[in-house]
Amino acid sequence: MARFVFIVPPLTGHINPTLSIGAVLLQRGHEVAWISLDRSLEARLPKGGQLLLIEYAENDEQKQESEKYLDIITKKIVYGIDSIKFLYEEVLIPLNRHSYEGILDLLDQFKPDLVITDHQMFAGAIAATNKGIPYTTTVTAPAAIKVMDELPKIHEWEVNQIIALQKEFGIKREDSIACSELLTMVLTSRSFFGEMTLPEQYRFVGPVIHKRAEKTSFDWDKLEQGNGKPKLLVSIGTTFDHEHKKSFFTKVIEAFGGAEMTVVVVSDPDLFAGWPENFIVQRNVPQLDLLPHLDGVVCHGGHNTVCETLTAGLPMVVVPIAYDQSHVAGRVVRVGAGLRLNFNRFKAKHLKESVEEILNNMSYKEAAMLIGDSFREAGGTETAADLLEELSVVSIISIK
Amino acid sequence: MDTIISTTKLNSNEIFDLMTQFITEVIGEEFVEEMDITMESSFTKDLEMDSIEIVSFSEKIKTHFGEQIDFTGWLSNMDLDQLINLNLGTIVNYIEECQ
Repeated sequence: MARFVFIVPPLTGHINPTLSIGAVLLQRGHEVAWISLDRSLEARLPKGGQLLLIEYAENDEQKQESEKYLDIITKKIVYGIDSIKFLYEEVLIPLNRHSYEGILDLLDQFKPDLVITDHQMFAGAIAATNKGIPYTTTVTAPAAIKVMDELPKIHEWEVNQIIALQKEFGIKREDSIACSELLTMVLTSRSFFGEMTLPEQYRFVGPVIHKRAEKTSFDWDKLEQGNGKPKLLVSIGTTFDHEHKKSFFTKVIEAFGGAEMTVVVVSDPDLFAGWPENFIVQRNVPQLDLLPHLDGVVCHGGHNTVCETLTAGLPMVVVPIAYDQSHVAGRVVRVGAGLRLNFNRFKAKHLKESVEEILNNMSYKEAAMLIGDSFREAGGTETAADLLEELSVVSIISIK
Repeated sequence: MDTIISTTKLNSNEIFDLMTQFITEVIGEEFVEEMDITMESSFTKDLEMDSIEIVSFSEKIKTHFGEQIDFTGWLSNMDLDQLINLNLGTIVNYIEECQ
């Protein structure tokens, strides 16, 4: 049996797929641990999984700093290309720099056969390299590597940030080691990712859909009351701030308040004093259970929500806000599974028209179903676990 | 029509009008009506264009001018800060010089 360790950033969308892959590895009898800055991850780990917390106990200042990184990404209003600069300069580089020493210690302590590090947790790749432990990479935001093609200078800038950090920790190379040369698992299908030549160690394993263990309550009765009328899910994820949400949902209310449809909204119900009668508003929804009952989705283009929507074969309207979401939205449009709107510019009537279009014109749903099929064919969680198992065997044999 | 325009040399006003037309095609007429597009307008801050919109804008310029101007090459050489601060005037000047 092998010892695996996942190294994850404190970002839900990047963590969730590792929980599913890790659960399969645990079921197959392996030992699996997660290295993270976030203490609360422990409660979400699959049964038998260990949390290896990055801690700097001897120094309070450093400890406080750890906490600062947990929600740093939510602290600033960002939009468009500007957000890439923010993501690297103010989130990823400081986060990785801060985590590096802790990762080194935890690798010594756990002695994994194989490291699986997130593509934005390059400190994991650097630490594994310096410790001589083989590592693989999970690309949980595949659009990020697509940037290479579309805006090469931006990609180069990103890579230079990573190279500078690598040098700080003693790796004298002029290329980024964030994506493993052994195995880089891209969590989407080739047909959704689009044309691009990639080295052969890049494997498209499909999205790894994470089913939450805990039951999230939901007003199923109210959803069924809207019998026969279209049902829509509207969600812009968890990372964006209050003002973004307020301006967005104001337009959602104007577009669909009182309409002949049921609208499920993922939001803090207290965002507004009241919501229209035909809305179901909950802070959390059982998204995977809910999707098969719906007709369409409006979202911000977060990779996980988009993948879950396509897996359910539903058309969508994507309203990207920042980071790689513009590219994810571009892919949704390119494969014909939906429409996109500009977050700052769109008005209620555009949202209304776009939703009517994706619900009435069946071509969107058909395209979504095709991509959903490509995801299933790519294999997902089981395939990812198989690939990691194969590598761990190689790694154990070569070491012993 | 495209080929007729691209063989004649445009002055900066004409280039500006053409760029405004491309921006309109990318982001939609009704939004442009509410904007005050000037030579100083920046793509990210003022026009609120995201990366995919900037890419499709640059594809329009490429289609229009063809071999005459290596616009995508020029754009792809910009670093992040230059791209964030890119305004319409810079593009108009570049095209004017290249003709």
